[in-house]
Amino acid sequence: MAARRVPLVLLACGSFNPITNQHMRLFELARDHMHSTGQYQVVGGIVSPVSDSYGKQGLVLAKHRVAMAELALQSSNWVTVDEWESQQPDWTETVVTMRYHYRRILKEYERSVGMHNNSNLSPQLKLLCGADFLDTFKIPGLWRDDHVEELVGHFGLVCVSRGELQPERAVHESDLLSYRRHNIFHVREWVKNETSATEVRRALRRGLSVKYLLPDSVIEYIHRHNLYTEDSEMRNKSAVLRPLVKQAQEPVKSLDD
Amino acid sequence: MEGHSITKVVLLACGSFNPITNMHMRMFELARDHLEDTGQYKVVRGIISPVGDAYKKKGLIEACHRLEMTRLATESSDWVMVDSWESLQPEWVETAKVVRHHYEELLASEQNIDDVDTIKYAKKRRIEENHHKDRDDLQLMLLCGADVLESFGIPNMWKQEDIAEIVGRHGLVCITRSNSDPHKFIHQSDLLWKYRKNIHIVREWVTNDISATHVRRSLRRGQSVRYLLPDSVIHYIKEHGLYSSESEQKNADVVLAPLQRYTGASSS
Repeated sequence: MAARRVPLVLLACGSFNPITNQHMRLFELARDHMHSTGQYQVVGGIVSPVSDSYGKQGLVLAKHRVAMAELALQSSNWVTVDEWESQQPDWTETVVTMRYHYRRILKEYERSVGMHNNSNLSPQLKLLCGADFLDTFKIPGLWRDDHVEELVGHFGLVCVSRGELQPERAVHESDLLSYRRHNIFHVREWVKNETSATEVRRALRRGLSVKYLLPDSVIEYIHRHNLYTEDSEMRNKSAVLRPLVKQAQEPVKSLDD
Repeated sequence: MEGHSITKVVLLACGSFNPITNMHMRMFELARDHLEDTGQYKVVRGIISPVGDAYKKKGLIEACHRLEMTRLATESSDWVMVDSWESLQPEWVETAKVVRHHYEELLASEQNIDDVDTIKYAKKRRIEENHHKDRDDLQLMLLCGADVLESFGIPNMWKQEDIAEIVGRHGLVCITRSNSDPHKFIHQSDLLWKYRKNIHIVREWVTNDISATHVRRSLRRGQSVRYLLPDSVIHYIKEHGLYSSESEQKNADVVLAPLQRYTGASSS
């Protein structure tokens, strides 16, 4: 008899500017890996594009980024797009987004499973990310310490890297991450695939082909709406990233906000 | 408008395509962008020619499957297509012969187009006279990765005259990654150096290393290959139960056809 597995949902936050095949690979790799631990059953994946107020250079309107992700994920039977984060009036901390989705998942789960069945394992939500994500914890002002603790301690990370040791090193070099290393899952992508949204935007600006790097439907959408030009890349050029502003101002809030 | 003429180019990719991946398809896109960026070429067609079973490469599954998977992969392309001629030959065919075959077909079809165009009567006459002569305005180029270029250096893999024919009479478009140095390889070969003007190196700044070997490995292990190759190809693989540990052992103790053919032949 198979051991009981924890139902797991993977959440990916990011610009998705635009979504690429590489983003969707992250989900596939993470699912395979978490299944192979024997402890988890991946039951869902969520793509949560960041809101326009993030202020990152070259970010096109959230409505487009959400629409493109929808097109890309049409053929997926387990990963979906969620626009809650993109519709919030201000930039939302990753932890706040996670809390929102976790509450939602728990409610749905309790409704479908039934409260009488207490022997079932509670579902979990983990953040899915790439190797460079762990390095962002070091950037001053970008993350609150209590949020990092909640993110890796309470929720957990599934970090997909391309076979290099950088993510392990990032964990090693941070006391906080080291302490929570049992909740950080390292997934290796042995195929060296550097297709990034930045490269895709660069190719589009130069009129070069991006076919086979993202779904045809997304490419069509981009051309139809004429997204990703030299002008679009200049958006927010001199703006300060919203988290750096927002977190410099506010006092430290408790876990229950 | 400048007076220089634009050469029409057809790209031909030979290989196992075992199976075809998004990386193979990307090569065509990168090559076309590169050539057209020079202002001297217009890429009009791409041909994928899967190798025949007689190549005897380890893990090579039947040509009929590889052809169909390639056809599925090219369905969404309006200029790249699959060709079965090479795979239908009973013996392994040297790449130079495949290039020759497709070039001749190309010349023949271009001539037919010119024949029906009554306005170009003078041109038609000229072409009839030069039926077998190469045309300046139409070229067939072999599209490959840096590994193929470097295989020119492996003893008994290629006949020197075949290499000369491919790079001398036709052309080579070589897609390379940031970590390999094809220019050095060309520099170190007198033959390649002689025809360096016909060798186009396309640097792939964004590494997209989806090797078919890796795909087969993932499939054997029940891991996802989604977004590495088209969904229709994945579906076909699952439907026909292709790529298992057994299929990977095919030809394990057999010598690769070119090595078999050229070893033992008198050195040229």
